[in-house]
Amino acid sequence: MPKEIEKLRSIDEINEKIKRGDAVVLTAEEMIKLVESSGIEVAAKEVDVVTTGTFGAMCSSGVFLNFGHSDPPIKMTRCWLNDVPVYKGLAAVDGYLGATSLSETRGFEYGGGHVIEDLVSGKEVVLRAESYGTDCYPRRHIETVITIDDLNQAILVNPRNCYQRYDAATNSSDRVLYTYMGTLLPNYGNITFSGAGQLNPLCKDPNYETIGLGTRIFLGGGIGYIIGEGTQHSPKSGYGTLMVKGDLKKMNSRYLRGASFHRYGTTLYVGVGIPIPILNTRIAKTAALRDEDIFVNIRDYAAPTRPDLRPIIKKVSYAELRSGKVFLGDKEVPSSSLSSYKMAREIAETLKKWILEGTFFLTKPIEPLPRQREFKPLKIRGRELKVGDIMSRNVVTAKPNDDIRAVASKLIEKGIDHLPVVDDEEKLIGIVTSWDIAKALARDKRKLEEIMTRRVITAFENESIDVVARRMARHNISGVPVVDKLNHVIGILTTDDISRKVVGGGRIIW
Amino acid sequence: MVKVKLIYSHGVVEKPVLATIVLKTGVPINILEAKVNAQKGELIVSIPVAGDKLEEILNLFREAGVQVQEFAETLRIDWNKCTACGACISPCPTRALKFKEDWTLEFDEEKCVACGICVTACPVKAITMP
Repeated sequence: MPKEIEKLRSIDEINEKIKRGDAVVLTAEEMIKLVESSGIEVAAKEVDVVTTGTFGAMCSSGVFLNFGHSDPPIKMTRCWLNDVPVYKGLAAVDGYLGATSLSETRGFEYGGGHVIEDLVSGKEVVLRAESYGTDCYPRRHIETVITIDDLNQAILVNPRNCYQRYDAATNSSDRVLYTYMGTLLPNYGNITFSGAGQLNPLCKDPNYETIGLGTRIFLGGGIGYIIGEGTQHSPKSGYGTLMVKGDLKKMNSRYLRGASFHRYGTTLYVGVGIPIPILNTRIAKTAALRDEDIFVNIRDYAAPTRPDLRPIIKKVSYAELRSGKVFLGDKEVPSSSLSSYKMAREIAETLKKWILEGTFFLTKPIEPLPRQREFKPLKIRGRELKVGDIMSRNVVTAKPNDDIRAVASKLIEKGIDHLPVVDDEEKLIGIVTSWDIAKALARDKRKLEEIMTRRVITAFENESIDVVARRMARHNISGVPVVDKLNHVIGILTTDDISRKVVGGGRIIW
Repeated sequence: MVKVKLIYSHGVVEKPVLATIVLKTGVPINILEAKVNAQKGELIVSIPVAGDKLEEILNLFREAGVQVQEFAETLRIDWNKCTACGACISPCPTRALKFKEDWTLEFDEEKCVACGICVTACPVKAITMP
């Protein structure tokens, strides 16, 4: 057996030591320092448990609720807490409230995450529900006020928490982007990242030697358990996730915070801490990994593509990201986190305290988590409509020195509103709309080039219609010339084309 | 050093008020933020003098028809709400927000130009502009 995985101690032995009050427990930061000063052998021999922590936005979080029966009873088919929809595809008075569910009255400002925080804080929450009424559940409507104490169960069950690492974000476009990675300034104006790096639980046991099904953890200030791999678990590439559960009634709103990402939506900041028993030297080594040793990609969020297809700008360590500045080429770009390192630290400290006080014991996993899993994208069967499918190919264009009156009659004759202006090689150099022409005539202008818009918003033939429709809405325009790679105009797409030829999902209806 | 907001109404906005005052007083007034169009303008500037000299400059702006607003307070941070996540730090154009040694948030009022980007960037709505 390689020396690295030679057993140093068992979880039972560690629990015995916790009971006796002589277990050696360090936070991951303290473990790093010890390894640096005394070496891995000494640290592995001395330390029983390393505690970890993370506190970040975890959208795949939510709570199962049981409201109890009213008299007369109701089979709730639709339900809201503070106007936030609760999933009701369960039994009569069971529901699931997800962190990203948005208030129907307050939108992005308030959502499921906020309701969870309010419940944990003991605040009163308005419960409203509807039903169609049945013989056994005659009531059709209910509206009342509840607190967490009124609920029979409030069980936090988070399908995906605690990402091992998370790719950082930047923005190459010329406008501010509001994303789930926060505010991204134009022209690589900043970099945001998430995760506690050297304190991150899954970074400290990347081989899943101690973390598994049934592992007892710190969750939201209370006790929780790992109940399996998280959704999108991708351990092979170093992006593992966890599914966790715990009793919300015993949690603390300091470690469960509702949050809103501007123009994106709501989420829940969740505090998770996991004890790593140092069973062998290999675990001691991974538990001592530093921010300098943990790498992620910086991706460009300007590309409206699938997350894994967003262009990688640079590979960096958490140490670089946490330093507050990262060089992209020769440009120094400010970087900052979205998850709280201060709270991650506090969680690791709290978990350490619990173990030292003898109130938290370690568990042996019932089953390990899968180490070979890939995270597949969603394939779309069949062919979706692209810009090229619905654009008009019969484009009327004009030349910069065309007379405005002639152009005006051309617009009327052809019944169009958008006129791309091209040079002698048919390359796009501007655009005019019927509104521009009306204005020009009123002001007595003569040549097209005096009035044309030179900075033209365009589309490519193979782009998704949704992406181009969003571009038009953002620029408040009703048509875009479609160009090829050489900037030749090959078509035109207007909001009219979209509304007439497409119905949600891109099915042709003519 | 004092920071003020200068509000130019229609009619004033076309005149080189700030340049004239800089030339006249020799004080290098620094423009921190500017929103100007044909109808109106708003500048946030820092003036690196105090006392009588400062009063003189502010009066010159007022005489030229520019409305002067002093910044009593730029941002208000609710430290009970702040989780020290850092979401406000890198979007801040003037580096007025940063981490301290212990990873709590630090706000440097001197540097703040009250642009408000941190207000929307904060996920827990801990930052407001009074």
